[in-house]
Amino acid sequence: MARGEIRLIELSKRFAELTAVDGIDLDIPGGEFFSLLGPSGCGKTTTLRMIAGFEQPSAGRILLDGRDVAYTPPHRRNVNTVFQNYALFPHLNVFDNVAFGLRRAKRPKDEVKRSVARALELVRLTGYERRKSSQLSGGQQQRVALARALVLNPAVLLLDEPLGALDAKLRKALQIELKSLQQEVGITFLYVTHDQEEALTMSDRLAVMNAGRVEQVGAPRAVYEDPRTLFVADFLGVSNLMDATARGGGHGHCRVAVEEFELEASAGDGVMTGPVKIVIRPERVELEPHGAPAGRNRLPGMVERLVYVGAAVQVIVRVATGETLQALVQNTGRAVPYGRGTPVQLHLPADALRVLPATNRSDRSQAETPTLPEERLPTGSRSR
Amino acid sequence: MYRRWLWPGFAFPGVLWLVVLFVVPFYAVLAVALGTVDPILSRPVPIWNPLEWNVGWVVEVLHRLAPGGTFSGVAVRTVEYVAISLALCLLVGYPVAYYIARHAGRTRNALLILLILPFWISYLMRMLAWVNLLSPDGYVNRFLVFTHALGQPRDWLGGHPSTVILALVYGYIPYLILPLYAALDRIDRSHLEAARDLGASPFSAFVHVTLPLSKVGILGGAVLITLPMFGDYYTPNMVSSAPQTSMIGNQIDLYFHGGPQPTIGAAITVLLAAFLTVLMAYYMWTIHRASRELQAA
Amino acid sequence: MSIVAEGQPKERLPAWSRFRGWTTNPWGRPRFLVVVTWAYVLWSIVPVLIAIQFSFNATRSRTAWQGFSTRWYWGDPVDSVWHDPTLRHALVQSLKLASADVLIATPIGVLLAIGLARWQGRGSRASNFLMLFPLVTPEIVMGVSLLLVFTQVFTFVHTGTVAQILGHVTFSISYVVVIVRGRLFSIGKQYEEAAADLGASPSAALVRVLFPLLMPAIVAGAAVVFAVSIDDFVISQWLSSGGGTDTVPIQIYSATRAAPLPSTNAIASVMLVVTLGAIALAFFVWRAFTRGERRTGAKPTESLGVFEI
Repeated sequence: MARGEIRLIELSKRFAELTAVDGIDLDIPGGEFFSLLGPSGCGKTTTLRMIAGFEQPSAGRILLDGRDVAYTPPHRRNVNTVFQNYALFPHLNVFDNVAFGLRRAKRPKDEVKRSVARALELVRLTGYERRKSSQLSGGQQQRVALARALVLNPAVLLLDEPLGALDAKLRKALQIELKSLQQEVGITFLYVTHDQEEALTMSDRLAVMNAGRVEQVGAPRAVYEDPRTLFVADFLGVSNLMDATARGGGHGHCRVAVEEFELEASAGDGVMTGPVKIVIRPERVELEPHGAPAGRNRLPGMVERLVYVGAAVQVIVRVATGETLQALVQNTGRAVPYGRGTPVQLHLPADALRVLPATNRSDRSQAETPTLPEERLPTGSRSR
Repeated sequence: MYRRWLWPGFAFPGVLWLVVLFVVPFYAVLAVALGTVDPILSRPVPIWNPLEWNVGWVVEVLHRLAPGGTFSGVAVRTVEYVAISLALCLLVGYPVAYYIARHAGRTRNALLILLILPFWISYLMRMLAWVNLLSPDGYVNRFLVFTHALGQPRDWLGGHPSTVILALVYGYIPYLILPLYAALDRIDRSHLEAARDLGASPFSAFVHVTLPLSKVGILGGAVLITLPMFGDYYTPNMVSSAPQTSMIGNQIDLYFHGGPQPTIGAAITVLLAAFLTVLMAYYMWTIHRASRELQAA
Repeated sequence: MSIVAEGQPKERLPAWSRFRGWTTNPWGRPRFLVVVTWAYVLWSIVPVLIAIQFSFNATRSRTAWQGFSTRWYWGDPVDSVWHDPTLRHALVQSLKLASADVLIATPIGVLLAIGLARWQGRGSRASNFLMLFPLVTPEIVMGVSLLLVFTQVFTFVHTGTVAQILGHVTFSISYVVVIVRGRLFSIGKQYEEAAADLGASPSAALVRVLFPLLMPAIVAGAAVVFAVSIDDFVISQWLSSGGGTDTVPIQIYSATRAAPLPSTNAIASVMLVVTLGAIALAFFVWRAFTRGERRTGAKPTESLGVFEI
């Protein structure tokens, strides 16, 4: 069975005046659940379609298990796609839909029957063979689309926002199913989505894309907790950005000054000075009562409002420097002891506070995972 | 995915057919109209080279179309008939389209079928129906005499403009109502609700919201019926036995089938086509402007 | 529910107010429009129904009803549709032209529709424009041009059946294109892409996926061509070479201007039944094919987009 390794080398796609994909490099080893995450228009779907073969790249190479398939027509590539609205053939029933690819490959009849039965069993739709797609629910259609693609044993499965048309609860259930399916089948899944929670839940690794370029690649934890650019910090959850001035440091630490307050933060290797932005996730912000003993990384503030979101409470605090931070307090059954107008003290733990460059120019040398040993990054940083 | 020449290849047979049997014939009309007439055989001699075109016959026809010429009466009459028919079609058709688009509840599907039905009834059969009804002893006369609206039966088919206009309206109105219905149906109900919410009376909402938004539909329908109506000759021929109700189409018909001067017929055709092209361009420009407003709104 | 007219306390409003209430009820149906609409529908359909009725008249009159008879269809040995050679020939000629038109125009039109929809190159806009022209050209202009082209240019084609067929196909192609293009637009490219993704070669994708999905539109297009061709008058008349190539509409036209008999009504009714039968058949085929695809709330006016130029 093919390993399913994908390598994109300086892949670009230009439409008239619009550059949809701007020279991206990605390395996806076989068997991984990899997500392309980004807002609409960032180029993730175009990238997927180029890998599938529906768009021809303007430049660059697409290596599938070592072979450049950028100019191979889609029906000759060993990748299969699950489309956003499933694209089940309306004039065929479930069995014929799933059997479609096998029949084009001229497999013998009994083999077709067995393979289709196995595929339907895999997606738990045995018994639905004679149904037409119009008689299936959204979730069932999606599973038929999966079966149809997987029955051909592709090296890579491409999924273009397959859960977009489903309601929230069904989406959550199917996310878990898809993940376990991928682990069971063992092939590479390349998943495109704009939903950051989905990407974080399901992926082994993910790439955050913006305006045709890759901003950061890494495991979900790394990308979430250690964002390398403003865009990544802001796109994946609430970022609590603040302006600050870096005063230098080293070995992963950095001293920053927020107006008259001095804070310790984490940064990549390399000395940073000058205007920067600091980022901390709301769940890492600790709230302390006003008179608590001051320690390092404390900022005074006042609670502006509380927002109840079910599992937690968002506490919006206006810091003494004028900016607003959000703290997330889990709902443990006890009321939050801080009401509106209460003065509080914010503790921003040093290992949770990150320093980012002040502008959002996606600097590639900083953001991407090194692919080959000789492509060591200038600053020597690697995603954790 | 597909070879790039595949789609032009698919289109090729159709395009070739249309070029050979649509474009070339048009050119033939031009060549005859701007050609000469063989004086001995009295047959048209087409001139194919544009540089050698002879405008003599076209100019001659223009003279006859000008006020005082032999065609001017027909031309003016044609414009009158078309204008009046269009107005009547709108007068009757707009309320019908409006009702079906906005108000008809359960009866809407039935009404739509009844609207579409005339499309599939042969135009000539529909004219035949009226010829029967309007004949001296037909139902119309009998009804009018019975209700004392008329003293004695009237000769409707004897050459009355009103009969021709009635026939034109009857014949063409389905082609107006359907696009009008489609346009009215597409108007978002929330625009009207907003107008009412802001204090407009039903009538005022209609005048200030519905009517402007349906402009594109009205123009589209108007194009769809006036262009063919200008070339109509069979309607006057069927419902009127006299030449004083003839339209410009009848003149063309005459010069091709009645007498040995196809060149004049071709010249009239060319001028008619030119006139309709100008009309069409005007319509398109107005529709384009009106739909741009719609998008901005 | 009328709040104005009903649900009022005992005191009756003056008649004028009650009448106004009935006609201007803001929650009720606008009665004036209802009346106008149904009056129009009656005015539109009833004359034709009367004409059909008189095709069953027992006497030669088309205006005085004297009893039911089928003599004009097959009874009368001289003048009925079945026995009168001119009428029979006209019927046969109409069917001949319509069938030939369907067989030629439908394939050309389907291919043209697909080609125009997918072709991105420079000629496609011009070709699209060209395709739309026959729909807006007045028939007399087409008639004149075709007659001239067959008498001055392609003189090997004389007026007659062949010329009539060629003329019919020329205006029918556009109808097929418009109908098929609508269906193509609603299908989109996704199914062919899915087919290619699953290993179908481009020709397999066309044959096994696109054409089956286009089938309802192809059938509908064929039916429309048939109906339009059968009812065509102007082109058939201009390209006819006399009696043998006259179609039913030409017969109706000449008979109406000369000495019409109920047999004219009869042959017109026959044509009407044939046309409606073809359209109804196409309609049911369309519904059968697209049964699974019908979304709730899809408006019938989507298909009327053909009227947008």
